[in-house]
Amino acid sequence: MDVTIRKKELVKEFSPMLLKPSKWSKIWMAILVAFILYGLVALVVQLTKGQVVTGMRDNVVWGIYTINFIFFLCLSYSGAFASGVLHFFNTPWKNAVSRIVEIITVVSLIVGPIFIILCMARLDRLHYLFIYPRIQSPITWDVIAITTDLIGCLLYLYLTFIPDFAILRDNSEGLPKWRKKLYTSLAIGYQDTPTQRRRLHKITKIMSAMVIALAIVTYSVLAWIFSLTLQPGWNSTIFAPYFIVAGLYSGIGVVIIAMYLIRKYFKLDHYIRKAHFLSAGVILLITALLYGYFTFSEYFARWFSHKTHDANLLETLFNDYFWMFILANYIGILVPIAIVFFKKLRTIKTITFAAVIAVVGLWFNRYLIVVPTQETPYLPIQDTRPEFVHYSATWVEWALSFAGVAAFVLFFMLLMRLVPIIPMSGIIDYEKKGKVRRDGLTQQQQP
Amino acid sequence: MKFNLSTYIISFLLFGLFVAPNVMAQEINLRDYRIRFRFKTIKQPDQSRMLEASFIAANKKDRKDRLPVYGAEISFFNVSEEEKVALGTAKTSKEGIAHIILPKDQSYLTDKEGKFTLRAVFAGTDEMKRQEREISTKDVQLSVELAEKDSVQTVQVNAHILDSLGVAIPLEEADVIVSVQGMLSRMVMDEGTIEDGTYEFKMPADLPGDVDGNMTVFAIIEDHDDYGDVVQKKTVEWKVPNSSNQEDENSLWSEVAPIWMYVVLTILLVGIWGNFAYTITNLFKIKKEGQKLKTEPMK
Amino acid sequence: MKDDKTTQNGTNRRKFLKMGLLSGATTVAGASLLANLTSEEELKASGEKIRVLTPDGKMVEVDAESINNYPEAHITPEESRKGIPGRKFVMVIDLSKCKNARTCVESCQKAHHLDYNEEYMKILLLQDHEEADPYWFPKPCYHCDEPPCVTVCPTGATFKRDDGIVLIDNERCIGCKFCVTSCPYSVRQFHWSHKPKFDNTDLPYSPETSVPGEVGTVMKCDFCPDMIRQGKLPHCVSSCPMGVIYFGDKNEDMVTNGEETVRFSELINDRGGYRYLEHLGTKPNVYYLPPVDRQFPLERGFDVDEEIIERYKDVPYVQDMKEKGKI
Repeated sequence: MDVTIRKKELVKEFSPMLLKPSKWSKIWMAILVAFILYGLVALVVQLTKGQVVTGMRDNVVWGIYTINFIFFLCLSYSGAFASGVLHFFNTPWKNAVSRIVEIITVVSLIVGPIFIILCMARLDRLHYLFIYPRIQSPITWDVIAITTDLIGCLLYLYLTFIPDFAILRDNSEGLPKWRKKLYTSLAIGYQDTPTQRRRLHKITKIMSAMVIALAIVTYSVLAWIFSLTLQPGWNSTIFAPYFIVAGLYSGIGVVIIAMYLIRKYFKLDHYIRKAHFLSAGVILLITALLYGYFTFSEYFARWFSHKTHDANLLETLFNDYFWMFILANYIGILVPIAIVFFKKLRTIKTITFAAVIAVVGLWFNRYLIVVPTQETPYLPIQDTRPEFVHYSATWVEWALSFAGVAAFVLFFMLLMRLVPIIPMSGIIDYEKKGKVRRDGLTQQQQP
Repeated sequence: MKFNLSTYIISFLLFGLFVAPNVMAQEINLRDYRIRFRFKTIKQPDQSRMLEASFIAANKKDRKDRLPVYGAEISFFNVSEEEKVALGTAKTSKEGIAHIILPKDQSYLTDKEGKFTLRAVFAGTDEMKRQEREISTKDVQLSVELAEKDSVQTVQVNAHILDSLGVAIPLEEADVIVSVQGMLSRMVMDEGTIEDGTYEFKMPADLPGDVDGNMTVFAIIEDHDDYGDVVQKKTVEWKVPNSSNQEDENSLWSEVAPIWMYVVLTILLVGIWGNFAYTITNLFKIKKEGQKLKTEPMK
Repeated sequence: MKDDKTTQNGTNRRKFLKMGLLSGATTVAGASLLANLTSEEELKASGEKIRVLTPDGKMVEVDAESINNYPEAHITPEESRKGIPGRKFVMVIDLSKCKNARTCVESCQKAHHLDYNEEYMKILLLQDHEEADPYWFPKPCYHCDEPPCVTVCPTGATFKRDDGIVLIDNERCIGCKFCVTSCPYSVRQFHWSHKPKFDNTDLPYSPETSVPGEVGTVMKCDFCPDMIRQGKLPHCVSSCPMGVIYFGDKNEDMVTNGEETVRFSELINDRGGYRYLEHLGTKPNVYYLPPVDRQFPLERGFDVDEEIIERYKDVPYVQDMKEKGKI
């Protein structure tokens, strides 16, 4: 049978990625682990000495932990959104990116909440959230939404993994015993029979829609944490959609960066092709335009109506945060647009560059949303202690932030060791549909 | 247990050691201070009488520097031309105040007009001079009547003194303060003069009472030359309690949230988790089928 | 046996204190009723030590009577959620009388065991617009009727009581700081690190006293319910030498600054009382009387620590004064 042979071929092709980590990936993992260990040191310092070791003080009580929290959650949200859309509409080029996107979704959803937990000063009392819940509080909504979302995403990710687990179980030779066992139990006896297939397809489709809905709800709740307060700069009706668009923007950016790195390090040029970059680039362009539009509306309305406290906030943004504002809201939006807009400029490298700019710009955009608002409250801050007037993150916060990023990459790499980054079942489905392998995949893979 | 002299002395010394740093004695020049020894008498609502002496040293130059004399023994007497009856003694508090309370039925040495003389004495020490103050006062019978006259809530204050024969003689003239008791203080409503033994005051209709709708009205004669201080009070259920308190409603800031929030949250959670459950049951079905396939090998 | 008796006594007294205890307090107050409430003795008594003169002519420092009878009047966190029945507390701050004497701040700090920079009561120097003269603006917690801080609290650690007071139960607080960001008046502060004073367990913790503090939890002005239960005024009110702050029960329509007691409704209506940032809709229970016909020139307020003057450096008026070398 053609399919069985093909499965074997694919497993053979991908097993080096799963089984034999290259020297570089080992070095990378060591570096990442070092970052995480450094972060753990910082964590111990914070836990023993209290949050006094952070840059947070009475006026700015939410610092870069909160920013990282939003940032990672927005990656997760946009991952879920994108993957849901890919599956739900059965997009032709989903194979190349869907697993990358799914892994990003789950990994960032695990890393993100760690940051909000770091922001809470009494970790020993975290269970009070469940013992004494108040459902009026957006934090309670957040807790419910994130746990639900996390479980939903894990479930969904697992569904998409099952066919590949089955293929790996059946077709790989010379696997270590534990791996074989793992795949067998994870594949839960999936044999790709028509009924199993139909059933799996059905629930995957429903879950893909559910994951989109969950992502929107979770991310709106996150935006409401800010926009439901009375603070100038936060109290905005467009915050939920604004956050969602911003999330998409940065999410697409991270997907592009991941595509680039995976393509480069695992030599998957024939699966992740320029066409994929171009399509992703177009989506980046669309989201950049939308995001730019929302950013403009948000600040334009504040500038035009210039209520006293809004004006104060804008003054802070344009004075104390001038360069960050330019970087986040001009360069971070206009440069990606310019790169992707002109056909001539669209190459894999430039699109990746645009994506990097977008992601970095977006992180600073979050910073500008979170921090300056707290520095310009309704009543003026009259204090002589500089750390109470202006927020600046300390080494503890930076160490933990980088540890978070490192954990994100490390989890990603570990998951890539478990299943092929390109879904094999997807490739087979794609080929089975009678579509001629016009790209000559087989020719390329056998040198 | 047996205490011999030496343990006694040692413990005494130790005790002294521990206490000494807390009580840091400091010599001051008493010449810089003016001693203020004051004495007054207050007839209280329950008809008892309080004698209060206040003993304070005030710096002549620095107005803010006032030192209460603490622990000074003050003796109180009722004196007449021929007799002197000891009423009691008290030590001054940290605020420099010593007081004793004489019961309602205390009898005094009075003169023909019903006047009696009270005296507070500080015997004096080597450093501080003897202090003595005397006041003469008459025993005023003050009463407060609360009644609605022409549907206006009216406070009527009556005051008289009893002469030696027990005949009530209305007070000719005395300033009186009418006030209302609040939770934390008394609010002065009116200051007027008792003439021919009575004074009347109309209580504003819009003044709310306390939690139970009660209103406690005080009438006070303050620091009068002949009568000293006299206080009387009366409570009446005159008012409707004012409660602008929030009802226990379901609001954003109450313990229980608005109903719609529970409804929406429940719908969302049931919908989503129901779907999760559905997915998981389907996974089990897939597993079941897989196991079946295993047991009956593929044809 | 003896222990039994004391505990019984204790509970009796506690009951008595909880029952409103004011009828009791009145008779006590009746005793020294004509003694001036805000006399110097009273002021000194709010400190830990007072100076007195002994009959043999020596000046000594003695412990002031404990202002808070904590063990006896101890209200547990659970009990503190109820509030004093039938009451609705309000504060009125007369801006025309404030001269930044800071006794309210300091007495509050003493009573709540706060450090130099921890202030439940803050005094800001506000200037409404360029033409207006600045004025001193004491800012306690506003104990809003629709408090955003309570709304956003995920565990109910901060709560609104029937008597209008918003309190924090620092044994319930998880330190998420959402209440800090949601308060538009920047009232809330945070215990960023552990301090030795928190270990003082002589006083059992009560949300009504906010003592002792706890690392990683929020703190703010509590309207001193422990004092109110004893029939006394909050520390800031009783300590103010100018009688700037009035406090009382709105249901009784009476507020007092310790010297005079006036009708709340008349004070607000005759003097143009307002609430700060009314448009936010939080419905504060702290009212301000506008800084008109001031009793003190503004400069009187600069007779404070250098460090405190430095706080106001961004106010244009202060910059002017500095240029002219007047400060």
